[in-house]
Amino acid sequence: MKNAVESREGLLIISILLIFVVFTIIDPIYIYPRNMVNILEQSVVNGFLAVGITFAIVLAGIDLSIGSIYALAIVFVSKFLVAGVNPFIAIILGIIIGAIFGGFNGLLISKLKLQPFIATLGTMSVYRGIAYIVTQGNPVLGIPDNYRSILNSNTFGSIIPVSIFILIAFVILTQIILKKTKPGTYIYSVGGNEESAFLSGIKIDRIKILGYAFSGIGGAIAGMVLLAQLGTGEPIAGTGAELNAIAATAIGGTSLAGGKGSPVAAFLGAILLSALKVGLIVAMVPTFWQYVATGAIIIVAASVEIIQKRLKRATT
Amino acid sequence: MKKVLGLFIVLFAVFALAACGGEEREPIPTANPEGFNPDTNTDAVNYYDLREDLGAVPLLEGEYTFGGVAKAFENEYWRTLKTGMETGAAKFYEGGINVTIDMRSALGEGDQTGQLAIVQDMITRDYDAILVSPITDGNLVPGVEDALEAGIPVVNVNDGIVAIAPNFVGPNAYENGVLAAHYVGQQLGGASAEGQVAIVTGMSGAFAARQRTAGFKETLEANYPGIVVVEEQTANWSREEARNLANTWFTTYDGSTPEKTLDAIFANNDTMALGIVEANESNANVDPIIVGVDGISEAYDAIREGKLDATVDSFPLFKGQIAVEMAIRILAGQDVPRVVHTPQALITIDNVDQSAETIIAWTDPEIEE
Repeated sequence: MKNAVESREGLLIISILLIFVVFTIIDPIYIYPRNMVNILEQSVVNGFLAVGITFAIVLAGIDLSIGSIYALAIVFVSKFLVAGVNPFIAIILGIIIGAIFGGFNGLLISKLKLQPFIATLGTMSVYRGIAYIVTQGNPVLGIPDNYRSILNSNTFGSIIPVSIFILIAFVILTQIILKKTKPGTYIYSVGGNEESAFLSGIKIDRIKILGYAFSGIGGAIAGMVLLAQLGTGEPIAGTGAELNAIAATAIGGTSLAGGKGSPVAAFLGAILLSALKVGLIVAMVPTFWQYVATGAIIIVAASVEIIQKRLKRATT
Repeated sequence: MKKVLGLFIVLFAVFALAACGGEEREPIPTANPEGFNPDTNTDAVNYYDLREDLGAVPLLEGEYTFGGVAKAFENEYWRTLKTGMETGAAKFYEGGINVTIDMRSALGEGDQTGQLAIVQDMITRDYDAILVSPITDGNLVPGVEDALEAGIPVVNVNDGIVAIAPNFVGPNAYENGVLAAHYVGQQLGGASAEGQVAIVTGMSGAFAARQRTAGFKETLEANYPGIVVVEEQTANWSREEARNLANTWFTTYDGSTPEKTLDAIFANNDTMALGIVEANESNANVDPIIVGVDGISEAYDAIREGKLDATVDSFPLFKGQIAVEMAIRILAGQDVPRVVHTPQALITIDNVDQSAETIIAWTDPEIEE
């Protein structure tokens, strides 16, 4: 128990359980399997975005364009699919598109030395514009069912959406990349202290481009999952999605100052957010109060770290 | 770097495995996979005609709970639709049909997934009918699929348009533009009128924005060939963006020559039209006719004050009641057509103080004894 409280991930799991208990007491409908699936489905898209943006945030940056990359993946992959491209090839192309547009952010940030906030604020608009131009602003219709069933089918008695397993695989994969590979540890070093990373011979530009490419990949997969769920490729999708991703990452304890954070924490943050969101809906909290509750939770989550530190100091 | 590449390959393998292991969802036949346009639907029926055809509302036995899902209660339009649906349910309740409605909305028009979660919650609660106004054409598709699979009737009220929903109830958005164009055409002198007009469109890709603009432009072209559309820009449904846009236009079109006049501005909704009105306050160069769509209360006030010339009202208060009525008819087993067009009317200084009931000749539907 003590260990659980001391690790961020443990604390997140406890918080999620607490949310489950509270909302189940308010209305038992909350723990119906249907509703659990709803929470999972809701967390998947934001989960991919949150894991992606974690790379940018660990690098002491931000990726405001992630919602637009999400839309780009949606419109390009829809266009490929409608043109008859094999769904698996289309998914791979989608990932590449995410890496390219994400990597371009990294290029602007490293080579032009632009501040990440400014650079991605710019590309947020540029990428969204491209999504509108490609589709003339209209939704792309007629997404083939075989694509939808790849990312949107259900397993285990046709209940649990397959996309949640893909997300878990992505979380494990990115966790390994960040914690166990050299480029991953370099990402932490660059985010933690760029100067000392530079002095120790790390090729900072490359690491930044790589990190932002991963952010783009997270955005692109999120888009492809949404496309499978909806069956319509909408260029407007994901407007404001970057804020939800940042919220999930922040709840997960990733510091905006950089050098800290993990995909697992971002994933748990996304689950917590959607458990809360669905909870507020199930509890029939009036719409306008839901804004207040959501914001309050983000503030509480952000202050947990400080309380944790104090607890630690008190016990030692 | 090689390790990263290796991990990528693992990721693809996971994708492939997940795909093979997945059980396919029972596909639901899509009503019209190529897109569905209620405005041009050939089975569309006008509400009053339908009421005549179907007669009194059947007296449903049993208890019914409906779920209503609006876009965002921040916008007065959706709050009025909410009141309309609640009023409708209350009237039928008084008439002997035990129906209540639970009205909810997303957290703003950007909260596409939150709106879907509301629909899912209503399915879990096993509501008897769900009435939806989706934020986009696509964001509620999975929810509508699940509802239909669970045997719950879904009525698509207003836009966005869900192609797979069995019923649509709402105004003809194309007709919104037609009414506005005829007003502008007549004000500028009828068939032989000459003039220059500008259009402020809603968010790119939004159904209502596309249709209203098309209705306006095509009507001008066909009936008033002397009126030319010289500007067409989006202001994303935003009052502030519309105001800035109009301010820019008023600088360019300063009225100095016939090529530099602006005779009318059509905005895709009232919020933007009111932004133009604000910009127009400080403009002395040109005197454009300003027309909006929606009929929100502030637009009515602006028409009374002579600042706004006209709006096309689609009467959400009555549209909400009609939607509830259609859901009851569907549950009673009546054959409700794919598209039911609700009443709308042009509001100008001439009829701004008339009651909505008078303008659209509204009477409450009869209920079977």
